[in-house]
Amino acid sequence: MTKKRYGMAIDLRRCVGCEACTVACKQENHTPPGVAYAKVIKEEVGEFPHVRRHFLPVLCNHCENPPCVPVCPVGATWKREEDGIVVIDYDICIGCRYCMTACPYGARYFDFGDNYNQPQNEFEGRSSPEYGEDRPRQAGSSPIGNVRKCTFCLHRVARGEQPACVLTCMPRARIFGDLNDPESEIARLVAERRGFRLKEELGTEPNVFYLE
Amino acid sequence: MKNKNSVIAYWTLLSVVALVGLAAIALRVFQGMSVTNLTSLIPWGLWVAFYIYFIGLSAGSFLISTMIYVFDIKRFEPIGRIALFSAFVALSAGLVFILLDLGHMERFWTVFINRSSTSVLEWEIHFYNLYLAILLSELWLLMRRDLIRRSAQPGLVGLVCRLLTFGSKDLSDESAANDMRMVKILGMLGVPVAIGVHGGTGAIFAVVKARPYWYTGLFPLIFIVSALASGGALLTFLYAYFGHKDEQHTSLVVALGKMVGGFLALDLVFMGSELLVGFYGGIPDHVAVYRAMMFGPFWYVFWVGQLLVGALIPLTLIFNKYTGKISGWVGAASALIVLGIVGVRLNIVIPPFTVPLMPGVDTAYPLARFAAFEFKDWYLAAFTVAIVVFLLAAGLLIRHLSQLPTRPVERWLARAAGLVVMLGFLMMGLRFLGVGTPVTASIMGVPAKLPLFFGGVLRANDPSFYSPSALEWLSSMGVIALAVMGFSLGWLLLPLQEEHPSEPSTTPPSPFHFKSSYKSGYKSGNGEMGTQANGESL
Repeated sequence: MTKKRYGMAIDLRRCVGCEACTVACKQENHTPPGVAYAKVIKEEVGEFPHVRRHFLPVLCNHCENPPCVPVCPVGATWKREEDGIVVIDYDICIGCRYCMTACPYGARYFDFGDNYNQPQNEFEGRSSPEYGEDRPRQAGSSPIGNVRKCTFCLHRVARGEQPACVLTCMPRARIFGDLNDPESEIARLVAERRGFRLKEELGTEPNVFYLE
Repeated sequence: MKNKNSVIAYWTLLSVVALVGLAAIALRVFQGMSVTNLTSLIPWGLWVAFYIYFIGLSAGSFLISTMIYVFDIKRFEPIGRIALFSAFVALSAGLVFILLDLGHMERFWTVFINRSSTSVLEWEIHFYNLYLAILLSELWLLMRRDLIRRSAQPGLVGLVCRLLTFGSKDLSDESAANDMRMVKILGMLGVPVAIGVHGGTGAIFAVVKARPYWYTGLFPLIFIVSALASGGALLTFLYAYFGHKDEQHTSLVVALGKMVGGFLALDLVFMGSELLVGFYGGIPDHVAVYRAMMFGPFWYVFWVGQLLVGALIPLTLIFNKYTGKISGWVGAASALIVLGIVGVRLNIVIPPFTVPLMPGVDTAYPLARFAAFEFKDWYLAAFTVAIVVFLLAAGLLIRHLSQLPTRPVERWLARAAGLVVMLGFLMMGLRFLGVGTPVTASIMGVPAKLPLFFGGVLRANDPSFYSPSALEWLSSMGVIALAVMGFSLGWLLLPLQEEHPSEPSTTPPSPFHFKSSYKSGYKSGNGEMGTQANGESL
């Protein structure tokens, strides 16, 4: 048992829709406008007075059979052997956006080079820690012009920390861990509580589980 | 020269559009993809639509040339070289469009070193290369003897032809027979490759299981059939108006028109089948795409562009016993098909993106964006100059065009058309500079429809709305103008139509004989020859 299979379980009974994960993710990864690796789908069900709000936090599912990976014409995106995280090599990606059309979850984003501030402020210009690489955000150079996606905060996980969205989640609705380790909290939760995954009919085998 | 006015107007229009387009392309290169109206929800837009459009034109033209050289349909022989040359020009234009669409254009060559055998797109790139090689060698073999003959001519024609002979001097009949054998072999190789080129382009879309609208087995076949329709229509149009007006001209145009009409009808049948199965199945994601396409903000691309202009009018013109015998009308019908297929391509690429992949995923985070340019001073200066040049050129154009037709009504129509085109470009330019949007809105009186042409500003908060930015349009028009210029140059310089050495005059016909083609068309249509031709073509 050497290979890891990182996954996430999201407890929908605990999620309050505060979007702290969205904010934490943007802050951690310095993502530009129009790029949000973690976001929360909000849905209103029923009519007054029987109204409920449902929340569904979504992120990259790091599928076992990711449909976005085989379509890449230059092999710039792949699923890592050692831990199952789907990554992108910004130096190889040519920005054709084929993978974005192939992802059934809309989890991939294109960096058009937009900034929140004109000219960009110091925070926006700083390099994102993604993949542990140092890439100051400058016009014309990667990751601008590349497809970007959630990395399960690879750089934090490598240091033994939790992904930013997991750490920040106030009601502890997000549990991150190794699904291959039967002793881990996530493996136990997924086994004990009936979890579902998004669009299971497509055979993508997502590694993000939703607990009801 | 007889049609000096029209020649000047033709080249002025093309070079001005090409210049504006090149300026737009320069902006795109320097400022990246931010100049488009694309979003992360709608990652492919106008450029991808034009890419598959031109690849389709190319593959269609090529497949029609194989009917002559592989399947021995000798009567189509006069269009053989035109077909191969237009296939080459269209392929080049298609590849330029996909290059424009890359986030990192400078890395395009890495597709040759970073291989990924699982990607349809990767396979397509190899197909394109193989196809290009086959195409060019076939064209060269066909033109070889005429190139050698022409290289004796003085001036540019002789020079270009001399360069293109690559030192070959053999004019003997054995060498010609040899050429034809090679052409046949290459053509046979070319058939599966061309089917791979456009069927494969369809497969790029068809393998995406995330989008039910694309994910059907019929999709690559629709690509091939509509490629045959558009490529055949382009050839029919070119041959009807600019081909050698010999005794078989009208009958050949009519036969080509019938064939194109047949492919178009088959395309409609396929589309109907897709619609029927889609609506009957009623899978929400699938039906929603059809709804967006037919009743969304761009309903007219489907109903007017794709169905009326692209299918019903041309089919009526071609299969009607009055207009169907006149080469001018059949040529016009073909031109409409060539235009209408643009609508087909737009509706292939864009509607599936306007439907969210999961309910609410499009609005969970603000993903809407629209084109942003950084206007440095020299851009502003350059574009001011460009607009002035454009206005001057447009004035010249209208003056020359309006002198062309003989009847006063036609002259006024030509003037009005010129004015409309000029105003359209002017408004696009103003919008591009960020000037006068409210003015244009108030002129149009329908603000909701304005962004459909002028950049999507008014609907910028709707994440599933995409309309190409002015810069996307301008650069596309520029690429198209360059392609047309390249084609016209080739037409003037290369022996694209069979030359008969016995004929004293070897000068190519100018591609601007509008009047004479109409006349000959009417004449033969009314005479006995037209009826005879009609009988033959079936």
